[in-house]
Amino acid sequence: MANLNIDSVKDRTFDAIVIGSGMSGGWAAKEFTDKGLKTLVLERGRDVKHLKDYPTTNLYPWEFPHHGVLPDDVQKANPIVNRCYAFGEDAAHFFVKDAEHPYVQEKPFDWIRGYQAGGKSLLWARQTQRWSDFDFEGPARDGFAVDWPIRYADIAPWYSYVEKFAGISGNRDGLAELPDGEFLPAFPLNAVETYFSNHVKKTYQNRHVISARCAHLSKPNQVHLDQGRGQCQERTLCQRGCPFGGYFSANSSTIPWALKSGHCTLRPHSVVESIIYDDKKGKATGVRVIDANTKEAIEYYADVIFVNAAALNSNLILLNSTSSRFPNGLGNDSGTLGKYVAFHNYSAHINAEYSGAKEWTTDGRNPAGGGYIPRFRNVYKQETDFLRGYACGFSAYRWEQNSSDGIGQDLKNNLVKKDLSSWHVGSHMMGETIPKETNFVALDKSLKDPFGIPQLRISVDYDDNDEKMKKDYVEQMTEMFTSAGFTNIQASTDHRAPGLDIHEMGGVRMGNDPKTSMLDKWHRLHACKNVYVTDGASMTSTSCQNPSLTYMAFTARAVDHAIGEMKKGNV
Amino acid sequence: MALILGSAAVLPSCLSDKGKPVVQLKHLKIDADQENLVNNLTETILPKTDTPGAMDLGINLFVFKMIDDCYDKEHRADFITGLSDFAAEAKKQLGKSFNDSTAIERTTFVSGIDKKSKDEKYKDNTKLIAFYKMVKDQTVFGYTTSEYFMTKQIVYELVPGRYNAMFPVKSKATA
Repeated sequence: MANLNIDSVKDRTFDAIVIGSGMSGGWAAKEFTDKGLKTLVLERGRDVKHLKDYPTTNLYPWEFPHHGVLPDDVQKANPIVNRCYAFGEDAAHFFVKDAEHPYVQEKPFDWIRGYQAGGKSLLWARQTQRWSDFDFEGPARDGFAVDWPIRYADIAPWYSYVEKFAGISGNRDGLAELPDGEFLPAFPLNAVETYFSNHVKKTYQNRHVISARCAHLSKPNQVHLDQGRGQCQERTLCQRGCPFGGYFSANSSTIPWALKSGHCTLRPHSVVESIIYDDKKGKATGVRVIDANTKEAIEYYADVIFVNAAALNSNLILLNSTSSRFPNGLGNDSGTLGKYVAFHNYSAHINAEYSGAKEWTTDGRNPAGGGYIPRFRNVYKQETDFLRGYACGFSAYRWEQNSSDGIGQDLKNNLVKKDLSSWHVGSHMMGETIPKETNFVALDKSLKDPFGIPQLRISVDYDDNDEKMKKDYVEQMTEMFTSAGFTNIQASTDHRAPGLDIHEMGGVRMGNDPKTSMLDKWHRLHACKNVYVTDGASMTSTSCQNPSLTYMAFTARAVDHAIGEMKKGNV
Repeated sequence: MALILGSAAVLPSCLSDKGKPVVQLKHLKIDADQENLVNNLTETILPKTDTPGAMDLGINLFVFKMIDDCYDKEHRADFITGLSDFAAEAKKQLGKSFNDSTAIERTTFVSGIDKKSKDEKYKDNTKLIAFYKMVKDQTVFGYTTSEYFMTKQIVYELVPGRYNAMFPVKSKATA
């Protein structure tokens, strides 16, 4: 056994180990420590403390060496992460650089990662929508993947539970396809967003443009102030880390909360190599960690292990956790581990102009980003030649225009002009993709990462269903824009690789049948009951909601179950 | 930050050794004369009037930094070629070097280049125009994101503390 000289086995033994400190891992840490369990949180990157480790958060544009633009050599060295919209001079330090953690692209896949305490929860777009039974029943109704082992009623109380703590802004819109939650006041729609919302409501039976629901403290409650967080100040510089704790991140919320309990140990620079399975005991006993600085191997032990390493890295850890009982990866009796990976299709956009509402503009900035159009295709019944559907972002904006015409005093005068532009509107699609066995991740047989762990091979692609859905989005949105009187309508589709949506999901899917799925209805491995996977890896299907809120609710629910099992002496 | 040093950081080229530029560059290879030309060009684009000019605000240094750090190899090569073409064209039109010309002469020459740079039908002197556009773009970008501009000419709000979704245009005009 490694490193007996560093500390005793006792010092390396906990009640629970949580692999990952991001969106879902932070929740696992909070829930375990709230109940007094001694919890070890393993984070492969460095620690990022709220406020203290946000080096750019209060910088003005002129205080950045290149006023926000990344140098060409940084961009050239990072073709993958450079495609992410938030990879700029103000936030590049929160993204994994391409060379830091190599992987094999059997097909193009932009794997965007944040290796630090808090993970990508520092960087997310903060959109939060609940799933409904139209989503959970999708695979069974439409005949793909496997049936979800849970329904909305199982998760609804846990949505409420995490929403109250995280702080979600939104309106109670009363839509069956997008259930209401425990909301703080919404960020309202502006004049043209409201106009479009009214137009769509009048023109279509089941289409709605609502205020985007987002994890911002529009009006904090006591539970948020108790976390040390305050009201969102509408900076919209969230990717730098927020000095007010105005949006939910693990760094501002769950992690410090867990640490305050006195029961949590956060160990940064800890790359999990594998989960240790004990054949005799018939369960996992701990994890094997590579210290990222010293490259030493260290083992930690616990009664229960939560895998929250982010979807594809959770797959990688399980695939690399082999034993005589599980030669193909931990819990992989079904042979489905790493398979049925899916994502969200963001590859179509549409822009237009609107000549009305000239008397209105906006003042300040909208952290919610504008409006949201819940899925309206194939909700109540199958009605198109493709399965499932898409949600749409929708926003309207105008801005004060200057001009850089001329030189000298003319130029100076032109640059301070504040001519209000006409209104512009924009939308992007967020399409569900269908999990398939052929979209998979696997371990490379020879290539290793800098820690000696096999590199992940990623083989994920769009299919015909995605193309048809994309076409439908463009057609439907063009029709809606046209009938609303928008002009100069420009649709564009791009050929972005999967992954850039940063909503990769699946590979360790839930299901009722251990023969065709990895996890049971409590997110436990069917075949190794003290290992839980509650991040994106567990997703049986993707629907089209932004997934983070669902991971949070899954995690809180699964920890509650795990603690129950521990009390019963079952683990 | 280092960029906001003002004109004190820009020493006259005659003080530098063997025609080396004063500005520290990683990629661009230029001499003191060329450095001076770019400095003078930024000041011609954005001269000191009753408000500060490019050299006062260190915009010339910013332009060098951006082109040196943020443009790719091909653009940097165009910059160097275009800089020579610009110098030659100035000499041809003004009868003396750009650096030896008066501010008025420089303005006349640069006004002509600026018009051509906006003229989509103008296809000659592609490198010269590419060079000029790079310098102008970065002069404008550096100026409009400078502390001076963002505090004295417009008000950049780091912390708006509000979102008014329905705001009358009338109120904006008087805000």
